[in-house]
This record gives sequence, structure tokens and C-alpha cells, in this order.
Amino acid sequence: MKKLRLFIPLLIVLFTVLSFAPTALAFCGFYVAKADTKLYNKASQVIIARDENKTVLTMANDFQGEVKDFAMVVPVPTVISEEDVRVAKPNIVERLDAFSAPRLVEYFDEDPCSPMEKLRSIPAPMAATRGTMENESSFADRSLGVTVEAKFNVGEYDILVLSAKESNGLETWLNRNGYKMPRGANQLLKPYIRSSMKFFVAKVNLDKFEKSGYQFLRPLQISYESPKFMLPIRLGMINSTSEQDLIVYILSPQGQAEVTNYRTVKVPSNVNIPVFVKNEFGDFYKSMFQNSYTKEDKKVAFLEYAWDMGSCDPCSAQPLNSEELKEAGVFWLDNFGDGNNRIRPGFGRPFIANNVYITRLHVRYTRNKFPEDLMFQTTSNRESFQGRYVLQHPFTGELECSAGRKYRQSLFQRFEKEAQTLAQLTNWNIQNIRQKMEITTEQFQSSWWESFLMLFGF
Amino acid sequence: MMFKDIRDYQIVFLSLFLILGIGTRDWTLRPELILIAIATSLTTQLILSLVISHWSLVTSTEINHKQTIFNFRSPLITALGLSLLLRADHWTTMVLAATTAIGSKFIFQSDNKHFFNPANFGIISALALTPDAWVSPGQWGEEWWYCLLFVGTGGMILKKVGRWDTTAAFLGTYSLLEAVRNIWLGWTWDVYFHRLMSGSLLLFALFMVTDPRSIPNATFGRIIWAVCIAFTTFILRNYFYLSTAVFWALFALAPLTILIDSLWFYPRFAWMQIENS
Repeated sequence: MKKLRLFIPLLIVLFTVLSFAPTALAFCGFYVAKADTKLYNKASQVIIARDENKTVLTMANDFQGEVKDFAMVVPVPTVISEEDVRVAKPNIVERLDAFSAPRLVEYFDEDPCSPMEKLRSIPAPMAATRGTMENESSFADRSLGVTVEAKFNVGEYDILVLSAKESNGLETWLNRNGYKMPRGANQLLKPYIRSSMKFFVAKVNLDKFEKSGYQFLRPLQISYESPKFMLPIRLGMINSTSEQDLIVYILSPQGQAEVTNYRTVKVPSNVNIPVFVKNEFGDFYKSMFQNSYTKEDKKVAFLEYAWDMGSCDPCSAQPLNSEELKEAGVFWLDNFGDGNNRIRPGFGRPFIANNVYITRLHVRYTRNKFPEDLMFQTTSNRESFQGRYVLQHPFTGELECSAGRKYRQSLFQRFEKEAQTLAQLTNWNIQNIRQKMEITTEQFQSSWWESFLMLFGF
Repeated sequence: MMFKDIRDYQIVFLSLFLILGIGTRDWTLRPELILIAIATSLTTQLILSLVISHWSLVTSTEINHKQTIFNFRSPLITALGLSLLLRADHWTTMVLAATTAIGSKFIFQSDNKHFFNPANFGIISALALTPDAWVSPGQWGEEWWYCLLFVGTGGMILKKVGRWDTTAAFLGTYSLLEAVRNIWLGWTWDVYFHRLMSGSLLLFALFMVTDPRSIPNATFGRIIWAVCIAFTTFILRNYFYLSTAVFWALFALAPLTILIDSLWFYPRFAWMQIENS
């Protein structure tokens, strides 16, 4: 029992210390640049707004060919009716991209000789059409086992919602009706047919497209209710051998979203890198992402941003207002009145929570590393995360005091560390980095006289 | 003596997984929550043991010396299991999970045997009662060496405990059901292997479904029990899209242990049995 007596106070002490451990992270600095999706040639972008079983899915088209050749076949969990489809404003995806993109921030060292010696960080400001109806009822092409569940047009798109009994029939139907399906498609259509999924098929109506005056295809937005929280990526890989980029913005009233059948890994973040990267931030981010992707054996989803949408710090774009959030598919905004705040019920410390939380996932996938479609879940994890890279500008004025001399000596080490971090993150050649940074030892070495003075604390 | 008790191996292996998890998987694993789980589990076990031994001293004239010895292994294993599988946003959730986990052993007893797996009970109560608990099934990845590690170390324990039949029945049934579904759907086999190679599924099959103190005593009973769990898991995962299907299946079927034990009588498992024999 003697040992036990010692053990109990120990537990109490441990418990008290842990209860008050701080968990919040501070993010600040001046926002300089962002690494948005324009960096990638073939990046598909999808917004998923989801609360419980209700989903609003916005698909942005990165289609680069002739508009007349555009056709899209997406497996969806339920029949989508005309009321469930709309065309979103073209810039809504760009707004979300800008808000959540990995960012570059900069700090400026203060004069170490001034009375305010300590480095102070200045926090960045906190900030918190539908087309005509074609009332054609469903009809079945019995010989092929394909049923047209719905047919309508929305904006510049002609939409069909199909259900099928077997994949060969569906493939034949699609080919007969002018949808060019790649070879081998029927093998991939079968599992979706067997899991009772429907097919959302969209084509561009050229007359309406010309009349609309838009130069690019606008994003299509569909809503449905289903416990399935997934994104079919297999169909997109039929005839592609190269890596494809997919950016998924998940909006939820709860917290961070993650992939349940692959690992979700944070992109490296919160590191100091050399100042010259300011001019080549895009290249830096691309190399760093590729390097992290290879290191993780090409089979993980990367978390690039996770934040409560009421604020950002530092902001690479202003937070979306409620109009824009609705445009992005957020349908639960009105449920909580004007404040958009609610107190979480149940066990645990109640706290105020804004009710739109964004998770930005970046998946680079290939057929051999991502065999299964992506399955997601939202969690209650409200920890904030951002891909954030820091430039720390050295003080360039006169350094005529002892603190100043110490500061100058410390710079060499700091620059070298920044160079090594950059080389490690991007796999770039460290000699080239050093050259670009113009690190030379002489620049930072003190004269014998200065060292002598420093001995006496001057 | 260390390693005389088979549970010591289990403690070492589970700790090893936790360390590997933090070191190589860069999860949202929070060390302070692990310590909270351990501290709460041990404290709850201690308090409840003291209450029970005091109660038995009052009610019976015979003094049972065994009950006064503090059992630290079982709550430690439960705490490690919780830390590996359960995620929470707030520390109170972990406290709730650990307290209910240990409490379930003392409350849900039948014939001096608890029928809920403590860690599983803790996970389910946190998922059901709090808004901020979740399980991250994807975070173990599907690297082959992890599989080997689980199978190797788990196999060692199961061989010593003699409960490998449960794991075999569970994994066998589950993989068979998934294979049939895969053929029916027409997916390629890489989809099937990817679904089965989930680290958390193996962790569950090797370390949770085999706890000898909460599963049926007779071999035949255990096999029926494990097959039922596999069926339920399969249905919950594929038709209700629950990512936490295994935990709900085990929770729902845990009381079946009492029924199976009454149908197939077999001496109750005791940790000391192997040592004595």
C-alpha cells in the first residue's frame, strides 16, 4: 500500500498539469502570396457542403477542349431531379481556392539596437438561372436496360439522369446518344450500377452556351440526400496514365473532414524559408508538394487547410460572406439565426462555434495507388491548420551595439538553416539555394575588435 | 515479475504501436490525451476495486486476498486501446471514455465475467454521448509492414492466450463476405485488398475481438460469436456506410456472450490458468 499512496498524488499532479496545457496555435505575419490551383494544369475542383445526410456537390470543370466535345458522367447515390440541379457562379470556386490556398507570409526583424529588442510580431488584421423545362417523363429503353430517370436542361447544360441494369447496355446507350465513352468504361460502370447508383450525365447545349455569353463552362451544382459520403474517382482514371490533381473543399457545420480509406496527411507547414522564395512561391509549392507526395509513397490525401470560415489569419482572401457561402452550397446557414453561432450540446466544455468549417484536401492520384473511390467523414476536430511558409527579413540598418553584433552573427546560422529547410522540403540543390541567397561567411563574421568588445558586453 | 503475465506483452505491443503511430504516421494523436486516458483508467480501476473489496469485506466474513491486489494491467491495456483508436477534441471526452470503459467491467457482469470489451465500450460511449469524439479508420494506412507487425505480434499473443480461433473466424468470415461482394460488384481485386488492408481492422481483429475476459468461453461458441460480429460489421459498413462499423458490431453483440456461455458450458478463462498449467 505504500507504493499506492505515492501513486495517487502523482496522478493528481499529472492531471492538473494536463488540464491546463495550452493547445491553441498562433498564426500571424503579413500575407504576401498564395499557391492557388492555377499552378496545376489538370486540377479538378469539387466543393462538398454536407450536414448529416444532405450533400450539395459543386463540380468545377477544368475542361480545356472544344465546348461541343464536353460530356460528363458522374455516378450519384440517388436520382437527381431538376430542382436539385443549378449552375453556380463561375467565381465561387476561385473564391474558396483563394481563401484556403497555401500562403506565404513575411516578418521583418526589428532593429536589435533599439530599446524594443525583442522581436515583435504584428498580427495581420483578423477578419473574421435556370433554363427552360422540358417536361418529358421518364421512359425506358428496355432492350438496353437503361432508364432515363430525368431529362432537363439547366443553364447551358443538357442534363440526363440515368439508371441502368447492366453496364454493357449503359455503355451502348451512351455511345448511341453521342457520349464518347472510352474503352473499358463498362468494366468500371458495373460496380456503380450494382450498388444501385444513378448516373448524372451532362452535355453542353451549344445554342444556349453561345447565348449565355460565358466563355468558360460554369460549375454544376447538385444536391441529394444519402448516407454515402464519397467521391467517385475511378471513372476519371479510365484512360489516364498520368497523375491527376483533385482539390476537394469540404464545408461542414462540425469540424475537419478526412478520408476514411486512405491516410490524410498535413502538408509541411509553418517553416522559415529563404527570402528569395518570394519571387518563386508557386515553383516552391509545386516542388514541395511533389516531394511530400513521393515521400508518402503517393497514396495519401494531403490536408492543405482546415479553418473556421468566420475568420482567417493571415487572410489570403477575405472570408466568404453568407451570400457566397450559400452559393458554395452551404444550406444550413439559416438554421441558426443571424449570429451563425451556436453552443454545442452535450458533454464537454460548451463553446461558441461558427457553423461553417472548411477543409481543403489535395489528392494527387493514379490508378495503381488509389484503387478505391474516396470515402470521407467529418470529425469534430476543430484544430486550425494552414499551409503557411514564413519569410523572415533581416534588419538591414546599422548595427552599432553589442546586441546588434550578436544579431549579425546569428544571421548566418539562421540563413543556413533556412537553406537546409528549403532543400529538404523541395529536393532542390542546396548549393544553388545558397548561391541564390548569397550566403557568404565573411558577411557575417565580426572583426577581431568587435569580438573583443563583445567579450566585455559592449 | 515482468512478462510472466501475457498481458505484459500486450502492453508492450500496444505501446509500441502508439510510439510508431506518433513517430511515423503524423496523426492527430495528442500525447496529453494518452496520459489522460491512462491516468483516468487507472484511477477508476483503483477506486472501483477499493469500493468492491470494501463491500465484500462488509458482506462476507471471508477475506479474499486476491481482490485487494490492484490490477493495473487491464486498465492500462484499455487506456492504450482507447488512445490508439479514439480521437477527441476535448480532454473531458477521453475522461468519459476511460471512466465508462473501466466502469463497464464492474457494472455489466454476469457470473463474475464482464461481457463488454472495456475499450470498445469506452469508444461507443464517447461516440454516442459526446459531440466531439471520432475514430479515424484511414490513419493506419495499408503498408504491408504494418500488417506484418500486427499479424506477427498479435499472433504471438493469441497463441499464448489460445484465442486465435476468434480472430480467424472474424477475419475469415469478413474477408469472404467482402470477396463475394467484390465479385458481385465487379471491382478489380486491388479494391478488395485495399479494403481489407486497413490497419485499424487488423488492430481490432487481433487485439479487441480476442479479449478472453469478455468473449465466450467455449471454442465453438467463440466461432459463432465472431462470425456474427463479422456479418454485422459487413452489413453496417456496406449498407449503412458506417466507418466505425466494427465497434458498433462488437458492442451490439457483446451481450450474446452470456447466452453462448449458458448454451456451451466451458470453464471460465483466468489469466493465471496458463501459468498454473
